[in-house]
Amino acid sequence: MQWARRAWPRVTRAGLLSLPVIFVLAFLVLPLCLTIVISFWERVGMKFRPALSLASYAAIIEGARLQVLQRSMIVAVEATALSLLIAYPIAYFLARKAQPHAARVVLVLFTIPFLINYIVRNVAWTSLLGRNGTINDILSAFGLIDAPLDWLLYSDFAVFVGLISSYMPFMIFPLVLSIGAIDKQYLEASALLGARPATTFLRIVIPLSLPGIFAALIFGFVGSFGESAVPIIMGGVGYELVGNTITSSMDVLNYPLAAALSSIVVIIMLLLMLSWYFIFDMRAFLGKVLQWRGS
Amino acid sequence: MTGRAPFYRTWPMWLIIGATISFLYMPLVPALLLSVRGEGAEDFTFRWFYELWHIPLVLKALRATAMIALLVGLIAPILGLLAALSIRELRLPRLILLIMLLPLFIPGVSMGLACAFLFRLLDVPPSLLTITIVQVLWALPFATLIILTIMSTVDPVYLEAAYLSGASRWRAFCDIELPLIAPGVFGAISFSVIISVNETVRTSVVQGAWNTIPTYIWSTYKQIGLSPALYALMALVILLTVALAGFYLLLNRPKRPAKVPAITQASEM
Repeated sequence: MQWARRAWPRVTRAGLLSLPVIFVLAFLVLPLCLTIVISFWERVGMKFRPALSLASYAAIIEGARLQVLQRSMIVAVEATALSLLIAYPIAYFLARKAQPHAARVVLVLFTIPFLINYIVRNVAWTSLLGRNGTINDILSAFGLIDAPLDWLLYSDFAVFVGLISSYMPFMIFPLVLSIGAIDKQYLEASALLGARPATTFLRIVIPLSLPGIFAALIFGFVGSFGESAVPIIMGGVGYELVGNTITSSMDVLNYPLAAALSSIVVIIMLLLMLSWYFIFDMRAFLGKVLQWRGS
Repeated sequence: MTGRAPFYRTWPMWLIIGATISFLYMPLVPALLLSVRGEGAEDFTFRWFYELWHIPLVLKALRATAMIALLVGLIAPILGLLAALSIRELRLPRLILLIMLLPLFIPGVSMGLACAFLFRLLDVPPSLLTITIVQVLWALPFATLIILTIMSTVDPVYLEAAYLSGASRWRAFCDIELPLIAPGVFGAISFSVIISVNETVRTSVVQGAWNTIPTYIWSTYKQIGLSPALYALMALVILLTVALAGFYLLLNRPKRPAKVPAITQASEM
């Protein structure tokens, strides 16, 4: 009895504390493993059944879907790189140059559109970019164009607008955190030793903010590479990226194929995440947020 | 060169920031304008909003959205709080954090598809519960990070003082730590509700015959296209999100320097 009374709180405590981890393992890690297993299953008519078949992967390699994967990769890399080029100077400025309260207001302004449903935002873009959209109206009202520009919507340009406006705000936060966490003394030391501001920026700030840069690149890439709605809304009919290829495979009930495509995407993401985990200390990314036990 | 620069020297950067922010907010303007634009003679009307009340699917989706948002706003912050505590208390904190952040690294379709497979093999039919599970999974990393951030601003001395005064862990947590991190918990609640109200891709994979407001917008857009009523619904989503974000900001107003969130705190170092 005595033993039980003493042990019980400890067991409840351990149980409660491990609940979130169990939740993620049960509803995300296990299902992702399941996805990989199902990708080897056979499709029989409208159903699928357990098997050890490479048919889905063969369908990806032989068909046009390999090109879709390639193109998704290129589009995602380009959109992420462009987003970083926009996000890094802003994050650097907010973390180092702007007054703290002004920086806070700007960060809030970047958060709000990120929170607003991105389907709504992208659908709303179509009414700006379309042939009869606001931008074409304004341009022709000023006599800048004779005929409406038709590359504004249902084009690579539109897809980039959609991807960058959806995921760039998300990339600013890890950058601000890691640039803000750089010890000011390093920068002062660099200046005292006679380095010009540009040299200090290139040789001190950028290397020390690499964990944030990498985190931002992963967030941008995860969003852009797996994106399923933006290509439909902004790319128009026939614009295929891997995300909407997965949904269209599900629409025709070809679940093993959807699982195979999804597995490829997830494995690429996990490799990126693990490389981030092993190369960088998360403290450098999350700053003082983390207080490791015993350190 | 490392100091804060005065405004008159930084205006080009402010111009770039202003342009970027306008780029992000620009698509919201036509959605709001078109939702109140009348047809023909009338310039301005709330007709489309009234019309929404007569679409049974919208009402059903609205009820489902509210119900799910309530559940996600309840479950995700509790799990996030437990996760933040477990990162501090249990062994392998880095690994626990990595697991908690995992949902951020999995694209929406893949997450939805994976959960749909699990529910199908377990013979769980699509329901509000399956939608809630997927949305909690997606809200959890955000809730955890928000609570972790606030937790790190609490001086551990307070907890040590409680232990020295003979308080049990549970007592110290309830009486000392929880009141101190309450703004973070409320922040996690509002963030989870915002995420739940806006989530689309993951939900649409596991929803079955159910609809939430965003998945209703998404499927209507794909099947029928844009209409004034759809603009009205989109305007409602935008306004609701801005209102919830305002609520979150109100709760997390910096009062004393000690309570400034880690983002600005880090930038002051």
